[in-house]
Amino acid sequence: MTKTFTLFLSTSPYSYENTLTTIKIAESVLNKGHVVNLIASGDGVYCFLKGQKAKGIPNAEERFSELIQKGLRVYL
Amino acid sequence: MGTIAMILRRSPYGDINAAEAVRHAMGGVADELSIDLILVDSGVLLAKKGQDDSGTGYTNLESALKDSIDMGVEVYADKLSVREQDMETADIVDGVKIVNGAEIAELIKEAKTTMIF
Amino acid sequence: MLVIVKNSPGTSDGKRGVKLARDMAADLCFVQNGVYFGQRERLEGFCGSAYILDEDVRLRGIRGEDIEKGIKTIDYDGLVDLMANEDKVIGIF
Repeated sequence: MTKTFTLFLSTSPYSYENTLTTIKIAESVLNKGHVVNLIASGDGVYCFLKGQKAKGIPNAEERFSELIQKGLRVYL
Repeated sequence: MGTIAMILRRSPYGDINAAEAVRHAMGGVADELSIDLILVDSGVLLAKKGQDDSGTGYTNLESALKDSIDMGVEVYADKLSVREQDMETADIVDGVKIVNGAEIAELIKEAKTTMIF
Repeated sequence: MLVIVKNSPGTSDGKRGVKLARDMAADLCFVQNGVYFGQRERLEGFCGSAYILDEDVRLRGIRGEDIEKGIKTIDYDGLVDLMANEDKVIGIF
């Protein structure tokens, strides 16, 4: 049965591990054919800025862009 | 020029502090500054052997810490914190010196500048 | 019910999450720094099912033999299955 997951991300992209945890959960949810909404609030909106150049840590722009292509729904 | 004491109080990966402490320590020694990296509280977990970053996209901080030691950063771990984290000497990266509170106090007293992560 | 804990045993957030799970007889899943709860004797007397995220355990250099025996190691797919099957998911503490 298809379920809907709603994730709430409120921290900036590179200060905490929450970015990676969110990416990995969303990726798995999509691979299993469920629906996933991501609500970005507060500093969480910085995860979706264009032009991020992070290295040595998951690049939020790149990783979330890939997930959006796979069906992740993001609400700022 | 005087020594910079960098104190790390936080465990690696959960937040950026451990990665930043190592990055700035390396930057300091690359500029020929004298750097003491002092691990206290859950910061001692940075020195735990066996960190496996596969699949995460994170820089392996055990490797980065080893590199920083090779570059000349002096790394110290607080003995009491090591015990509180259930770590043993064998669990700790080679080259990290285990010191007590009085020795840490002396290091900070002797340093010209202190940075806290 | 499932409570997810990301903060370490030394934090009030981590302790709050675990206490809530105990009080509600919920299951627990440890991620991020919460995985340090899985080390021996840090979860004494917990009666529900406890799970721990393998990737976050390995990232921190925690050895399998240091994890309490009753705690089940899972990957992200396992976590998502758990979340899908529980009537309520609380956290992340």
